[in-house]
Amino acid sequence: MRIVTEHLSYIYNERSPFATRALDDVSLTVEEGEFFGIIGHTGSGKSTFVQHLNGLLRLPSALKRRAKRGDTVLTVGEFDLADRKTDLRALRRKVGMVFQYPENQLFAETVFDDVAFGYKNFADGKPSQEETEAAVRDALTTVGLDYEAVKEVSPFELSGGQKRRVAIAGVIVTKPELLVLDEPAAGLDPLGKQEIMELLHTLHSSWCKTVVIVSHDMDEIAENCTRVAVFAEGRVKYVLPPRELFKRTEELLALGLDVPLTAKLTLALKKRGVEIDSDFTLEDFAEKVLARRRTC
Amino acid sequence: MLKDVSFGQYYPVKSFVHGLDPRLKILFLIGFIVAIFLAKEFLALGICAAVLFAAILFSRVPIGKVLRAVRGILFLVLFTAAINIFFYQGERVYWNGPAVLLQWGIFRVTQAGIVFSAFLVVRLVLLVVCSSMLTYTTTPVALTDGIESLLTPLKWIRFPVHELALIMSIALRFIPILLDETERIMNAQKARGADIGSGGPIRRVRAIVPVLIPLLLSAFRRADELGDAMDARCYSGGKKRTKYKKLRFSWRDLVGVLLLAGVIAGVVLMRFYPVFPL
Ligand SMILES: Nc1ncnc2c1ncn2[C@@H]1O[C@H](COP(=O)(O)OP(=O)(O)O)[C@@H](O)[C@H]1O
Ligand SMILES: [Mg+2]
Repeated sequence: MRIVTEHLSYIYNERSPFATRALDDVSLTVEEGEFFGIIGHTGSGKSTFVQHLNGLLRLPSALKRRAKRGDTVLTVGEFDLADRKTDLRALRRKVGMVFQYPENQLFAETVFDDVAFGYKNFADGKPSQEETEAAVRDALTTVGLDYEAVKEVSPFELSGGQKRRVAIAGVIVTKPELLVLDEPAAGLDPLGKQEIMELLHTLHSSWCKTVVIVSHDMDEIAENCTRVAVFAEGRVKYVLPPRELFKRTEELLALGLDVPLTAKLTLALKKRGVEIDSDFTLEDFAEKVLARRRTC
Repeated sequence: MLKDVSFGQYYPVKSFVHGLDPRLKILFLIGFIVAIFLAKEFLALGICAAVLFAAILFSRVPIGKVLRAVRGILFLVLFTAAINIFFYQGERVYWNGPAVLLQWGIFRVTQAGIVFSAFLVVRLVLLVVCSSMLTYTTTPVALTDGIESLLTPLKWIRFPVHELALIMSIALRFIPILLDETERIMNAQKARGADIGSGGPIRRVRAIVPVLIPLLLSAFRRADELGDAMDARCYSGGKKRTKYKKLRFSWRDLVGVLLLAGVIAGVVLMRFYPVFPL
């Protein structure tokens, strides 16, 4: 699904002393098939932005008026979010949303029931037991859990990483076309992080054509994303492929953002007069460095 | 969305009323409530309303915000008014015309009924407005400090005043956090297709479960963590504990005392020497 937003702004608690401008004139386009990254400081509006993508936040009325005049404000696939008549249920079936710490939304007695929750909610009519079972089995297997072993277990008895997988399974059980994830690897150990990223790649090449991921981990972003948007104070600073973006290491550091290890090394080497032109994935960087060593 | 419902949250501006000693504000609220209940005529309520209105102006809390607190009990107000208009059994005549304006079975609309239910409505609105003014202009911390200080005499009979105040301030502090959390969980379940707040009563109750269970779990987790954190910093209750912010009586408090004590005394007196009795 293609995402287009133009001049999107959002203020929490408008017209009160608590008013916070969370998004300020955000325009960007995510093409179908992308693995799109969003980075930025805490409070820069990343979560606010992604929550718009399945209609969880209502657009301000000023923007709706603009949309009435025929301008695009926010469209996700064929859905126009500025239109009050848009079928949010249909939208949410096609847009899977994994919130920050999704394991906090588990509630059912068994893993099976929890994963089946979304499937039953979105099904047209009441799905048969076999259909539900097949969908839940698919989802749990995809996230790397053993269906037979976990289906009857209480989700609260699982380990942290397993809980998160169950929560993700509960979102992808409807096979969404667009998968949005808000810091899906936060709080996991390095191995858990790596497994989640591998899972996302599997999903990207099977069910979810388009993936939008919010992340703090720059290495993760550099390794995986087709393009990256940098948010700062509710505005979009850059939208670039990682290869271009991390050439601006100094600007990113000035924004208070981290950069991938490879970008830091590139900068350090540059200061010593060694230019390395990699795409900032660990593999490519190592190769380029080795190639350099051989030539000198 | 959810936050609109929770009336009576602190409204952070600087003003004369915000700066008053919380103990005073609590005592005045009590005095005011007593006065409003004792008032037997419109003039007394009018005086209370005028004072309250002045307090609102001086507090720089927008009128709309204050009225929103009334919206929370609108149903109660209308219900009270309706009951009294239809069933009040007075015969007194206030303006030219028949004392009984309408009679329909057991329903009887009288002049006295209309006047009396107007009186009750004004009284209810005043009660809600003055209570919410206290929470609009006093931070939860100041409020509990004030209550703790006012209850100090109870320490003599070994009543755990400090612990009570601590429980209150933690509870107050957790309300906005839990509201945020509720909204987050509701959004997460909505994204999974949960249909919250529509359908018949049974469907509604069933739809609450996916929100309520994660919310309870998170509340218990937070309580546990808070307990551990307090332990880790050697928190050990009220004995020998000093305060970061000492409560002090100032000249503004004196001005407030004299003004309000006068008004409250006047209104209470009017009960015994009514001017325009109902
Ligand atoms: N539910 C909310 N109510 C009020 N303000 C909020 C809410 N959620 C976020 N904000 C504010 O909006 C801004 C952007 O927040 P957010 O989108 O969560 O940023 P990020 O995900 O990049 O950390 C912050 O200043 C935050 O305090
Ligand atoms: Mg966030």
